[in-house]
Amino acid sequence: MNSTFTKLPDLFKEKIENIFCNVVEAQGAGISLLGRDLKIIWVNTNLSKILNLHYDPIGKDCREIFKCECDNTNTCSVMKALSSSEKQICKIHLFTEKGERKYIQNITIPLKDGKDTIEYLIKLSFDVTEQEGKIRQLSLLRKLSELMQGTLQVDNLLHLILTCVTAGTALGFNCARLFLVDKERNIVYGKMAVGPSSMEEAGKIWNEIEKKYEKLEDLIKASEDNYRTDTPLHMLTRLMVYSLSDEREIIVECVNGKKSILERNAFNNTNISKNFVSMIDADEFVCVPLMVCDVVIGVICADNRYNKKLITEEQVQLLNIFASRAAIMIENANAYKKLEEKISQLKETQDRLIRSERLAVIGNMSAYIAHEIRNPLVTVGGFARAILRDPHDENQIRKGADIIVEEVERLERFLANIMDFSKPIEPVRTVSRINEVLENTCALMEPYIRHKNIQLIKVFDINVPEIKIDKTQIKQVFLNLIKNAIESMPNGGTLTIETVLENDYVKINIADTGEGISAEVLQNIFVPFFTTKVDGTGVGLAVSHKIIDDHGGYINVKSLLKEGTTFCIYLPLIK
Amino acid sequence: MKTILVVEDDKNQLLLYKQELSLEGYNVITAEDGQESLKKVKEQLPDLIIMDINMPKMNGIESMNNILSEHKNIPIIINTAYSSYKDSFRSWSADAYIIKSSDLTELKNKIKELLYKA
Repeated sequence: MNSTFTKLPDLFKEKIENIFCNVVEAQGAGISLLGRDLKIIWVNTNLSKILNLHYDPIGKDCREIFKCECDNTNTCSVMKALSSSEKQICKIHLFTEKGERKYIQNITIPLKDGKDTIEYLIKLSFDVTEQEGKIRQLSLLRKLSELMQGTLQVDNLLHLILTCVTAGTALGFNCARLFLVDKERNIVYGKMAVGPSSMEEAGKIWNEIEKKYEKLEDLIKASEDNYRTDTPLHMLTRLMVYSLSDEREIIVECVNGKKSILERNAFNNTNISKNFVSMIDADEFVCVPLMVCDVVIGVICADNRYNKKLITEEQVQLLNIFASRAAIMIENANAYKKLEEKISQLKETQDRLIRSERLAVIGNMSAYIAHEIRNPLVTVGGFARAILRDPHDENQIRKGADIIVEEVERLERFLANIMDFSKPIEPVRTVSRINEVLENTCALMEPYIRHKNIQLIKVFDINVPEIKIDKTQIKQVFLNLIKNAIESMPNGGTLTIETVLENDYVKINIADTGEGISAEVLQNIFVPFFTTKVDGTGVGLAVSHKIIDDHGGYINVKSLLKEGTTFCIYLPLIK
Repeated sequence: MKTILVVEDDKNQLLLYKQELSLEGYNVITAEDGQESLKKVKEQLPDLIIMDINMPKMNGIESMNNILSEHKNIPIIINTAYSSYKDSFRSWSADAYIIKSSDLTELKNKIKELLYKA
């Protein structure tokens, strides 16, 4: 071994040193010489520095010091160089003994002896972590923004943000804490923290995470599953609360100053409260404000308490850019949350309204039905009892039976009415002139109107186009409304029926100068089975409303007590 | 012989009350709506009135209040198919409130009680 070692540098010098060494070493490249068996024969000091080697690599397998597990010519550039006899270039990333992530570009050159067989391989290693880092930072920021946009749940989003800050593949801090500003309570408080609680855990977690989630996306996707609130770091962070008036606190300073703060030597800085330093437990940390439109909504505090890696200005800058994006996302998520709350409130109110309206309908309906059934039942039962009392009185039997039959028929008619109302009616629509339909309806009612000392005024717009309606149904609506109008004027008055073209609708006004409807009653007039009339069924207006609805139109009503009521029906024009 | 005025808009029911109460030995007079009942009260001064609530022209409660304003001593029984009026304070002025039934026993008992309590 020793003889080989002394012999080789001569060859090395001859062939390589003059060509490479000065140039290459000046660039900070690591150089290693490998045998055919891929064992290290020689390395320069640069390589040991790049890889943070604490041991003598001589005699070790190349794959061991580069921490790769390549075992075939497809993945291993050294093997490929060996088999192809050609120079190979490849880029790898690895974790050094210190736990730093490094990107290394390797160039492997096969060295042949006189007989054209490969005797050695020279491997040049360039540390490209920095360049790689910058390219990655840019695409990383873009990627993180995209990932954050997908999350609208506030807590999940916050956890995702902290995961990004700590993920080795992202910003790569050891620990990250998130503080939120509560303006109402005038405080800034610890909301969440992500990171290992001890050095051991750190090592374990990093290895686990690196193995499990090769890509950042996978890690983010798993962020929800990894969201734990029972870690010591998280629980400690939740205890951190500072008054916004307490300007000595560094978090408050960050909120008020709206600028990031990079503290290099917290343990010896008397300006920072001891309490805060003991909570953070790191000599170096950075606080970055989360800002939306110049308003600070929170602070991210990150440190490298375990690997003690220096926080660079670049990292702080990157964290700043990231924080500004994150702040917007948090605001979005908050707005979304508020919106969701409002929507659910609205939905609840609506449900309650619908429920109470349904109950009112059921209440009206059951009172009406009970009344309509009980009355005939009293008569039927009463006469049946009379017959039973004296079963030989033929006269009584005949009279009673007649009445019973009559009352049963009444019950059957009533049931048929109820069924009619609940049964959906299929409209038969034809293109019709609405003025004509109104004329016909008025003609039907005219004798009745005159009899009641009511003056009928018809104002029909002849320019109203034909519309598609079910004539029978629409006629029923007009009859209902005209009948109501007449009934509201027991002492006479004026009934005005008018057609107007209004935007995309034909508007029909039916106005009376009658008693008017009180506001309380007005609310309920379209509710099925609601009635104020002694002999009313409460069905007329409800059915009218449904018919107009089915026609794609709408109906509204204005009324003043003692002055009169106007119903306006809007029927859509043919498109 | 005691005279009872039955105010009821349902003709067959009116027939039933007339038949049943006559059999009990009362002189039964009838009215089909509130206005008519006021007229009958004035003309014949009945000893007791049985009144339906839901009637055209003037409802039972209105008629009852009109009658009571002039004839405080005539007992009035509200006889209705509605159960909800029982809580309406305006019907408290009635001496009794009976929900219509084909079994007239309750009504008959109430009549006796009101006519002979004095």
